[in-house]
Amino acid sequence: MNLNTFMLATVNELKESWWMYLLGIFVTLFIICGALYFGWTAYQQSKKLEMDKETIKKTVISSVSFSILPSIGIFIGVITMAGLLGIPLPWIRLSVVGALHYELMALSVAAEGVTLTTLTTENFVTIAFVMTISIMWGGIFALIFFKKYQQKVINKATKDGGKGFGKILFDAFFIGMISAYIGDAVAKMIHYEVKIIENGAYVFDGNGNALTEDRSTVVPIIVMASAMLAMAFFEWLITKKKIKWLENFALSFSMIFGMTIAVLLGIGGIY
Amino acid sequence: MKPILSYQDRMHKQGRIFTILGLSVMISIPILIMLFTGVTPNIHQMVIGIGVLSLIYLPGGIVEVATYSPILGTTATYLAFITGNLANLKIPCVMNARQIVGTAIGTEENEVVSTISVVASTLTTVAIMTLGIVMLIPLRPILSSELLQPAFNWVVSALFGALGYKYFKGNLKIVAIPLLLMVVLAFLMPGFVIGNITIVIMVGAITSVLVAKLLYDKKLI
Repeated sequence: MNLNTFMLATVNELKESWWMYLLGIFVTLFIICGALYFGWTAYQQSKKLEMDKETIKKTVISSVSFSILPSIGIFIGVITMAGLLGIPLPWIRLSVVGALHYELMALSVAAEGVTLTTLTTENFVTIAFVMTISIMWGGIFALIFFKKYQQKVINKATKDGGKGFGKILFDAFFIGMISAYIGDAVAKMIHYEVKIIENGAYVFDGNGNALTEDRSTVVPIIVMASAMLAMAFFEWLITKKKIKWLENFALSFSMIFGMTIAVLLGIGGIY
Repeated sequence: MKPILSYQDRMHKQGRIFTILGLSVMISIPILIMLFTGVTPNIHQMVIGIGVLSLIYLPGGIVEVATYSPILGTTATYLAFITGNLANLKIPCVMNARQIVGTAIGTEENEVVSTISVVASTLTTVAIMTLGIVMLIPLRPILSSELLQPAFNWVVSALFGALGYKYFKGNLKIVAIPLLLMVVLAFLMPGFVIGNITIVIMVGAITSVLVAKLLYDKKLI
């Protein structure tokens, strides 16, 4: 392969080049292979444990139906960043550990004040390194400490299996997490300062400070309450009206209801 | 229900190999971009960038492993810490699946369910991303339209609202204090809550577990 072919490319050519797409395919294939391998070992284990096939089927259906909407949200992150970085790099970044707000933050510290017209190849390479390295900590800690943490802490806390406090522990844990997101929605009602994004990057003033605007909003709390009410309705249909097939889709339908409310509020000028 | 150890040990070994491969794949991307373009990164900006972000994401990484791994189980933890989107996708996905099939924490059955749930979720994300890239030209104007923007802006709020009903309904005694704490925190420090959601989740989770333990010890739940 003649590297000069690539070296001669401008940044606009390189960020949409065929080899960048090839790198995206490489990462995607790695994720697919890893997931399929672990899926296969878990399936083998389910057979060994003589688990009901219906349990596995339910797990797959509920997880797939649940994941569709948030995944579209993640893909929109790719579109948001594409303005500056092209499609492949945001695609690669959001296929592995990363998130839109993190990538934008990485972009702004790796190439402060960069815009579509001032982006250079050096900026692009620097951004790619910073985005990748700074987010690896979770994976590194999982690699080094997780096994010990699980053996010394988690297994002890859950040793009673389905009985005792172990049964309540994780529900309590998750309740705390949901409460945090409710707190987040309330906070956005009080004061929600958002950094302005233009062409896939934050906008800076002459002093290098990111420009922000106040977007305090009641929408997330209304969306939450609407999805909660929809879920209550679907649960009523499942338990009282015995519409069992809804069980796997109730969450997705409730989310769609909440998101529809957000769209309707938007049409009414409430963002 | 069978004890969990032998399967767990095997999964740790495979998970660690996967993590090493995953981290290598991740870091190989900027290295390959550097080799293909023949342009090296700006070392000064790179060091500052990594330093600044690591100040946030290094402790964040510890908190995330400590907070999320008990929910995910062995294999799913390794897979999720490479594929990402933990708080906004993988964790609620696993909790939802676990509740639907009714497996108990700390059992091999639960380990299987959480792994299959994260695998299914990961493959769905990959499928949507791939479809999105392939159909980018017709999809781009639709997904970035002003009309649909609010829907995807608040997809996480919709997700936790719906799940909130499921989990709050049967646990009203546990809910009150962590919820109140989070709302008070939101009123007092809105900027902190929005900007440090990982830490806020940890505070909420710890509070909630402590309240549950207290209620459990007093035989109130």
